[in-house]
Amino acid sequence: MSKRSHYPSYDVMKAKDEWDDHTQQIVSKRLEPTASYSFLTKKEAAMLQQICGQLTGDERESLIFYILDHMDQTLHSSIGEGQRKVGAPKAKELLRSGLEALEQTSQEKYELSFVQLDKKAQQQLLTQLSKEQAFTSKRSSIPQKELFKKLLTMTLEAYYSHPLVWSEIGYGGPAYPRGYVRTQLGQLDPWEAQPEDE
Amino acid sequence: MNRKYGNEEVDVVIVGAGAAGGVLAHELSKAKMKVVVLDAGPMRDPQKDFASDELTMKNLGWQDTRIVDGKNPLTMGHNNSGRGVGGGTVHFTGVFLRFHDVDFKARSIDGVGEDWPISYEDIAPYYDKIEKEIAVSGPKYFPWGNFHGPYPYPEREPLSPNAYMFQNGCEKLGIESVVAPLAILSAPFEGRPPCINRGFCNQGCMPDAKFSTLIVHIPKAMDAGAEVLPDCMVTRVLMDKQGKATGVEFIHEGKAYQQKAKLVIVSAYVVETPRLLFNSANEQFPDGLANSSGWVGKAFMTHSSHDVYGKFHREIRLYKGTPVLATTQAFYRTDPNRDFARGYTLHAHGARPVEFVNGISKSTEGFLWGDRLRETMLNYNYYGRITLVGEVLPNEKNTITLAEENDEYGLPRAKVTFSYSDNDLRLISHAVKTMKNIMEAADGKPEFVVADTAHLMGGCRMGNDPKTSVVNSFGQTHDIPNLFICDASIFVTSGGGNPTNTVMALAARTADYIKREMGAGNL
Repeated sequence: MSKRSHYPSYDVMKAKDEWDDHTQQIVSKRLEPTASYSFLTKKEAAMLQQICGQLTGDERESLIFYILDHMDQTLHSSIGEGQRKVGAPKAKELLRSGLEALEQTSQEKYELSFVQLDKKAQQQLLTQLSKEQAFTSKRSSIPQKELFKKLLTMTLEAYYSHPLVWSEIGYGGPAYPRGYVRTQLGQLDPWEAQPEDE
Repeated sequence: MNRKYGNEEVDVVIVGAGAAGGVLAHELSKAKMKVVVLDAGPMRDPQKDFASDELTMKNLGWQDTRIVDGKNPLTMGHNNSGRGVGGGTVHFTGVFLRFHDVDFKARSIDGVGEDWPISYEDIAPYYDKIEKEIAVSGPKYFPWGNFHGPYPYPEREPLSPNAYMFQNGCEKLGIESVVAPLAILSAPFEGRPPCINRGFCNQGCMPDAKFSTLIVHIPKAMDAGAEVLPDCMVTRVLMDKQGKATGVEFIHEGKAYQQKAKLVIVSAYVVETPRLLFNSANEQFPDGLANSSGWVGKAFMTHSSHDVYGKFHREIRLYKGTPVLATTQAFYRTDPNRDFARGYTLHAHGARPVEFVNGISKSTEGFLWGDRLRETMLNYNYYGRITLVGEVLPNEKNTITLAEENDEYGLPRAKVTFSYSDNDLRLISHAVKTMKNIMEAADGKPEFVVADTAHLMGGCRMGNDPKTSVVNSFGQTHDIPNLFICDASIFVTSGGGNPTNTVMALAARTADYIKREMGAGNL
């Protein structure tokens, strides 16, 4: 199967008038990222922009800025983390000190800031982070895998909540008050994404 | 705050308006008792507060931080808890199974776990009652366990593409499968419409086709006079010098209040119930209320809930239709030919993009990200999924305790320590293999196995012996006669199927006991 969308002309937003008001409002807002942050510093946001691009395999700014908005709001809010491993730092601390350690590691290793690294070097650092191998012993108190997981989860939950991405993967999107009628294998309701593969 | 019973001693105060709390509130207020129900979360309006969106509706789970530990630290939140009136029933899949007779006697029959102090026959009439009350839809004939149907409402039709995939795979292997019994309407009932196969059960049902205590039991309880107070976090059970419960203390918008009651029922689920008992410790009960046995918080269980995602040559479209519509319990009972005791249920289980990506990006294959993840996700519509609900044996070392760190109310957070036993792991291996086989038989290629868990049970188990259990079979604590626990924490074993029906049936049984005992002046 292709590395491109099976549904290049499908746009989930075309159906937005069929959705309830609350959902319309929530999803439409994702198309207009604010790029003004309450928790993240400019430097952190710049780093995260690169990291999110790496994690999603997509550098389009409209999408990445929405992810940053989501991360910033999540870290700024007082909502709990669900779970935190015993001994691990709190999410805000983990992110802040984790990004700082990543930046310092980049400086030490390459004499360049993380955002100045080429894509390959960034990728290598992130791969090492996912294997607990990025930081030198000085910073070993930061749980690297936990940090990687936190970055990955926050990035992907936002990216795959963006209507542009929904369209690309052929996800039907919101479905109320309209549900699904044709649900046998291979059947499609008329408003669903139609595969356009040759 | 505007109160109905603010300055009164009521008959019953219930902590938590979930599956159990909803049933209790309804039953007891119908019996003309003065009832107050407190819930830590909001009272939502499905039409205005729900949305067809995964990210927004994460807040239906209990998001407060828990400290997790053990060899298999649990993910906590949407997968195993609810927050707000209706509790977990607001976002559960609606799967409505009964436990089997053998589930209550695992020690006697299979030599593992513990026996419950009740048998299937004790709870059967309450299963009947609850299923009728919410018009559970299900097959004409259900092949496993003790109840073979018919269900109050006919089975759902049509199903979802993923459910058809599952049925095809099972059929080719000669594994019997059925349309899942669901607390989701297949025809109109009490002014509620049948399901439109929208597929957002886990985000809250907007058309009200799926049952929740938020839309069924709580409104009925309020009509019968119950006072339901959302956004009220109970911080302590109040006690008198004679060792009787006198009510609860709670916080609403930063201010502390008290509610006096003749009877206190804690229905705050498997983590918050023990936590509240611990946080209510006093001079007379230094180790926490109702904990003379030392069993509060011990031997809690989850269900192993691994997912297998497989890729198909043609589209499945996991977003379409009710998430769980097809099920098998062909592997439910102990089979001496297998290398593990007890068993499991398998469901065809839909998935929306966020849940899907969250799973496959952290599968047992390792992290998946970047270009490879994006390429995989472009084929989202070509994947199917099967999910396990596997029995986890009770183990004294799996515990709910208090952590060092405090929450926003100044109360110690819960610490949740969990490790699988060898039997649990062997069961999981077997189930993963079965799921892969079914998928392959349906012409799919299994690609990702995601280790996951669902539901929580136990931690304040019932029993006849006050030395080794916290409550009797009616949820009455052995130590404090007017303090009850009624939720999944009183389970003795986990069973190998979704627990909500059993939680509600036990609540209905507890309600009958309370009515009887209060009527006789024994409480």
